[in-house]
Amino acid sequence: MESAVTSKRRAVDNIAISYTGIFDTEILSVLAKEIEGTLSPDDKVNKKVFKIFIELAQNIAFYSLEREANAEGSDTGVGTMVIKNFDDHYVFSTGNKTTMENIIPVMEKCDNINSMSREKLREYRRLQRNMPAGEKGGGNIGLIQVALTASNPLEYSLIKCPDGTYFYIISVRIDKE
Amino acid sequence: MMEDIHIEGVHEAYFTPTVNFEASTGRCEISGESYLEETSKFYARLIDWLKRYIANVKGPLSFDFKLSYFNTSSSKCLVDILDVLKNYQNAGGEITVNWYYDDSEEELEEVEDFILETGLDINKIPME
Repeated sequence: MESAVTSKRRAVDNIAISYTGIFDTEILSVLAKEIEGTLSPDDKVNKKVFKIFIELAQNIAFYSLEREANAEGSDTGVGTMVIKNFDDHYVFSTGNKTTMENIIPVMEKCDNINSMSREKLREYRRLQRNMPAGEKGGGNIGLIQVALTASNPLEYSLIKCPDGTYFYIISVRIDKE
Repeated sequence: MMEDIHIEGVHEAYFTPTVNFEASTGRCEISGESYLEETSKFYARLIDWLKRYIANVKGPLSFDFKLSYFNTSSSKCLVDILDVLKNYQNAGGEITVNWYYDDSEEELEEVEDFILETGLDINKIPME
């Protein structure tokens, strides 16, 4: 298992919390506590970051190409989470390995979500919520929720890895009130 | 005589909401936080209880939602509960639904979307 690093180096490079490794339940709960309790003095902002964290972290656990067995032996996704702290906002990012084939539909979903007004997005969420609980495309409502919670667009980038796979990064800005 | 449901909320790696469903009065409450490992399974038990109450007891239902957090998987199941309540109301059942929301614009929007989505009258009450 890769070493799990949670660091607080606010002054150096704006990083409030960062983590790379397996996204299993136990680690997620440690990160969740950190976000809920200590990220910012404003509980409302912490709650927003927490809500975004839950949805995006689950995507890594389910869909990351890089996988490891957790302590109980069940197969879980590996990825990275970084929260940066700026004067008037946070930037929440997650990254994970993927293939071009798997990530194209996700990027299209992000573009689609970013093109919608808040009203349209809410309508889209209502529609998605009434879809039967299927495994495929299940990440859709999570991404809609992230955009609605942050009230900011979903930014993404794709980095080609030497082994021919890709590293997908999704970031969202959360304004401090 | 129908059984009640009492589930004590847990805030650990996952968050189980506190649930109190009372068959003798038709008073139901879900409170706390909902982020579960097996979301559908957890809510299936609650929906089954409601359906049996509606079929057998046929009494009034007063439902309080007091959730300070629920993830998107939970929200799908909450819509399923609201649909059951709406169907009962359409069939002549006496229904009251109170939704206590964390006082923010986003969470108020979420309740309004539940109303639009299900066509159910829901009383929107800001949480203390």
